[in-house]
Amino acid sequence: MSYGFNIGICLFLVILQTTVMPHLSVPGRFYDLLIPFIVYLSLSRSVRESLLVVVFVGFIMDNLSGGPFGLYLTTYFWLLIGVKGITLILQVGNRLFIVTLIVAAGVLMENLIFLGTFAAFGPEQQFAGDAVTIVTIQVLWAVLTGSLFLIIFRNTYTWLDSGFRAFYARKSE
Amino acid sequence: MVLIVGVIVLIAVNIIVLSASSKRYTAFGLERIAISFISPFQELVTRTMRFTRDIWHEYFYLVTVTRQNQILRSQLNQASEVSNQWQETELANTRLRTLLNFEKTITEMVVAAEVIGKDPSAWFKTVIIDKGKTDGLTKGLPVVMPQGIAGQVIEVSNHYSKVMLIVDRNSAVDALVQRTRARGVIKGESTDQCRLDFVLRKNDVRVGDTVLSSGLDGVYPKGLRIGFVSEVIEHDADIFHEVIITPFVDFEKLEEVLVVLEVQRHDMASRQ
Repeated sequence: MSYGFNIGICLFLVILQTTVMPHLSVPGRFYDLLIPFIVYLSLSRSVRESLLVVVFVGFIMDNLSGGPFGLYLTTYFWLLIGVKGITLILQVGNRLFIVTLIVAAGVLMENLIFLGTFAAFGPEQQFAGDAVTIVTIQVLWAVLTGSLFLIIFRNTYTWLDSGFRAFYARKSE
Repeated sequence: MVLIVGVIVLIAVNIIVLSASSKRYTAFGLERIAISFISPFQELVTRTMRFTRDIWHEYFYLVTVTRQNQILRSQLNQASEVSNQWQETELANTRLRTLLNFEKTITEMVVAAEVIGKDPSAWFKTVIIDKGKTDGLTKGLPVVMPQGIAGQVIEVSNHYSKVMLIVDRNSAVDALVQRTRARGVIKGESTDQCRLDFVLRKNDVRVGDTVLSSGLDGVYPKGLRIGFVSEVIEHDADIFHEVIITPFVDFEKLEEVLVVLEVQRHDMASRQ
């Protein structure tokens, strides 16, 4: 059930941010919605389960985006490793403040990896015009809405999980 | 110790892979599968959104439509007059093209496509269109709009393609300033504007000048509109102008595009 849920949510988020989000006049550009989901996976699911989702969604995003292949895979992979590392040091649990900071840090990390790749391998080793503005806006959006997405993911999973359990219990009776 | 070495090795491998993949667009050919898999859903969502928007515009805005109708009627009369002038120009153009042994005009070699998805990242400017190999599209074909050049096909699956817009940082178009014929290369900046590089300072470039494709890059046919000069910055120590270009195409509102087919043939004909 959890694999189906993870893949379903990933596909939903990918389609949402490639079709609906560009039409919304969000100031600047909204951050990658898969980051809160990867953070949620890192905090709540096993490494094996999270890694499979990271590879799947990283591959999809790399193919839909115009960036060099492997950029999203790299970002999601190191985000997963980073958050898992943090949970070894910090007791994150349900502390929304820390979780929000982790999402914001994830957004910052993604942008830094992208900019680092431009600087290192780009055609002219230069940053995009308004890089600082874009990164700042995305991080602020993440601070404002990151925890909200995590709550939605967590509650949806709990709701679906209990629904499936009840369904199978009824079926086995 | 083993963990630190492992992480260092992992980072090194990661950098090498990114370095190799940043040199080219195709990875393993598997990307077509992903595009074919996701694009139908993108198409469904986009069409649903447009359908809903059309219903809104067609049924709920009828009151304003009546008023607009009157204004549009008067504008139509004016447009008819202009259209007559255009037809005259077009006839003259056709005659001249025949004289120059042009085989076909650009309007006979295009495929209309709908934009069904946009790049999820703010750093890259690509779109997914609903035409692919089965419609005759191949990698490298130019994509245009009535307003000007939009971009270039960089990935093709059976029914869908990925288009890199001219505002993407990896895009480059050989261009010339219409008024003075000064040459340069239009480069994207992943913002709403582009730069016209390598324009020598001895060449006259002014704000408002129109920039066209030169056709020398072998991708875009000659003479297509790209944008206008919005800023010219002079540096004392530089031999080139720093020219900022605002594209004619509004990439935020890109919905339908035209893919130009058989460009090589067109170019060859134009060079004869």
